Amino acid sequence: MDNPLLSVQDLTVRFRTRAGTVTAVDQVSFDLAEGETLAILGETGSGKSVTAQALMGLVPRPAGQVSGGRILYDGTDLLARPRSETRRLNGTELAMVFQDPLSSLNPVFRVGAQIGELFRRRRGASRSEARRKAIELMDRVGIPAAARRVDDYPHQFSGGMRQRVMIAMAIALQPRVLIADEPTTALDVTVQAQVMALLAELKAEHRMAMILISHDLGVVAGVADRVMLMYAGRVAETGGLREVYETTGHPYTRGLMASIPALDGPRERLAPIKGSPPDLMRPPAGCAFRPRCEFATGICGTERPELMPVPARPESHRAACHHAKEVVADVVPG
Amino acid sequence: MSSPADPLLSVRDLHTGFPIRSALLRRKVGTVQAVSGVSFDLPAGRTLGLVGESGSGKTTLARTVIGLAPPESGQVLFDGRDLLTLPGADLRQARRQMQMVFQDPYASLNPRLTVEQIISEAWLVNPGVVPRNRWATEVKDLLARVGLNPDHADRYPHQFSGGQRQRVGIARALALRPRLVICDEAVSALDVSVQAQVLNLLVDLQAELGLSFLFIAHDLSVVRHISDEVAVMYLGKVVETGTTEQIFTAPVHPYTQALLSAVPVPRPWAAPQRKQILLTGDIPSPVSPPSGCRFRTRCWKAQERCATEEPALADRLGGHSSACHFPEMTVPA
Repeated sequence: MDNPLLSVQDLTVRFRTRAGTVTAVDQVSFDLAEGETLAILGETGSGKSVTAQALMGLVPRPAGQVSGGRILYDGTDLLARPRSETRRLNGTELAMVFQDPLSSLNPVFRVGAQIGELFRRRRGASRSEARRKAIELMDRVGIPAAARRVDDYPHQFSGGMRQRVMIAMAIALQPRVLIADEPTTALDVTVQAQVMALLAELKAEHRMAMILISHDLGVVAGVADRVMLMYAGRVAETGGLREVYETTGHPYTRGLMASIPALDGPRERLAPIKGSPPDLMRPPAGCAFRPRCEFATGICGTERPELMPVPARPESHRAACHHAKEVVADVVPG
Repeated sequence: MSSPADPLLSVRDLHTGFPIRSALLRRKVGTVQAVSGVSFDLPAGRTLGLVGESGSGKTTLARTVIGLAPPESGQVLFDGRDLLTLPGADLRQARRQMQMVFQDPYASLNPRLTVEQIISEAWLVNPGVVPRNRWATEVKDLLARVGLNPDHADRYPHQFSGGQRQRVGIARALALRPRLVICDEAVSALDVSVQAQVLNLLVDLQAELGLSFLFIAHDLSVVRHISDEVAVMYLGKVVETGTTEQIFTAPVHPYTQALLSAVPVPRPWAAPQRKQILLTGDIPSPVSPPSGCRFRTRCWKAQERCATEEPALADRLGGHSSACHFPEMTVPA
C-alpha cells in the first residue's frame, strides 16, 4: 500500500503471568489507508483486542508489554515516542469505542459533561460551548431529545444509547482513525443493526478510517473493505472481504464459515472445527492451528507458515498456511 | 402416559411479574410484567425455539416453567398435569424430568466440586434414580456421552475450557434422565467454532434419548438450525409462532420481519433481495408497556387501532399464528 495512514509492522505483545509468559500478539503486520475499514476477526484469545490496545497505548502494564515492532502513524513510530507525546494523539487522531459502554462511562458524571470534557480539556472550550457541542454530537449519533438527555446519567440510558454516547465521544475531536472493539457485542440484534448503520454513515461522512474488531464474521460484512483473521496471536489470513470469504485460503477461516448456521437454504449438520484453541502458554510447534486442522501434514508440525499470497489475488490476499492452494480449491459448499 | 400426539409441555395463559417496592416502606408500587399471557405447546421429542431481545421475557418464561419463578396465573402442564397445583411429592417427581442448561458455563458450575460431584449431586437430591454403587460408572458414561474424556471425572471446572464446561452442564442436566431440557442461551457464551460442536451434540442427544428441548436464544440462525417450531416474544408476549419454515421464510409480524432482517449474514452479496429494516428506539419498559399492541411504538405500520385494541395471537395469514392487526407477507422496500 502506498503511504498508508497507519502501518503496523511486526507488532509483538507479551504478558507475564505467574504461570509463564504469553505471546498474545505475535509479529502482526497490517496497513490501513485513509478512509478504509479493516475488520480484525478472531475468537476469544486470538489477540485481536490486545492489538487494538497496543495501537492506543493501552496495553495493561506492568503485566503486558509491547516487546517488538513498529506502529507507524502518518510516518511517525508511536512506539518510539514517549507516552506523554502519543497520548495527545488519542482522541484527535486515533479514537476508540469499547465493547461495554456501561463500564467505559463514568457513572457519577452527567453524559453531557463527559462528552463536553473533551472540548474543554483538548480544545479549551468554555462550559457553555462544550455543552452546546455535546448536544450537537448526541443529536448526530441519533440520541433522541439530545437537549434534554444531555443532563442524564449513564444509567438512565439503554445499552444501545450508551454505545451511541461512546461513539459521540470517540468522534468528538474528528479522529482520522476510529477503532471499535466489539462495539455491538453487548447489544440486541435490532440495536446492533442501528449502531452498525451509524458507524457506516459516520465513516462515509468524515472519510474516517476504521478498525472494526469482532468475533462475528457477519457483523462486519456490511462495512468492512478488508478483513484480517487472527488465530493464537498471529494473522491467519488477510485480504479483501469477498476474497477472504469466497476464496478462503486458510482452514481456520473455512472452519469458522462452516460453523455458522445459515439463515436460509437447507438445514444441514454443522461442520465445526474440532478441538479448542491452543494454550498460548504452550503453543504447538509449527502451525498453531495444526492440531485442529484437517489439511495438516508433516511440514505443519515443524515449520511455522508465514503469510503467503493466495493464487487468485496474490497482490492483496494472503494466508498463513502451507496448504492454502488446496484450501482454496476445496471451497466450502454453499 | 400421554399419547405421542399430546404435547409434553403445554403452557396456558401464563403471567409472571415481579413487584416493584418503594425504597422506604417496601410497599408495592408497581409490577414488572415480564411474562404476560403466554401459551404454547411442545410435543415430545421436538424442539421449540424461543427468540426475542433482552427484556422480552424469554428467560422468565423458562424459569417459571421449571419452577424458579412463581407465576401470577396460568397453567404449566407437564405430561397433562398442572405443575402449579400439583402436590409436593408428585411435583418433585415431575420436576426431575425437566432440567436446565444455563448460559454461563463459568458461573453455573460450583468451582469447589469435581465434575463427578457436580453430576452426582442430582442423585443425592433425588435418591432412587441411580444406586450409589453405580454413581462412578454412570458419571463416566455421561461424560463419554457428551464428548468428554471419562477419566476427567475427578477434575475441577477451572481445568476445562468454556465449551467443555458447557458439556459438563449438559451432562449434569442429563443425569436425572429428563424428558425436557430447557436450554437458556446455552451456546451464546461460546465461540462460534465451539458453539457448532455443542449444537451438534444437542442434536445427537435428542435423537438418541428422545429429548424435548425448549431452546431459548437471541441468535436467530442458531434457533433456525435447531428448532422444529419457533415462538417470537416481544415485551412479555408471543407475537408470532409457527414451524421454523413458516417463521423464517414467511414471517408476517413486523417485529419478526425486522428481527430477521437485522441478523448479520456473512455473505450479504449472495442475498441482494434481502432488505434491512432499521427499527427506531429500544424495547420499552415492561413496567409500563404501551397500550394495545406492545410493538406499536417501534412499528412502521402502527395506526390508531394499534393503540386501543390489542391484537390477539391467531391465524391471520400464512397458516400460522401472529398477533398483528395488519399482517403482511411482504416486507417494505
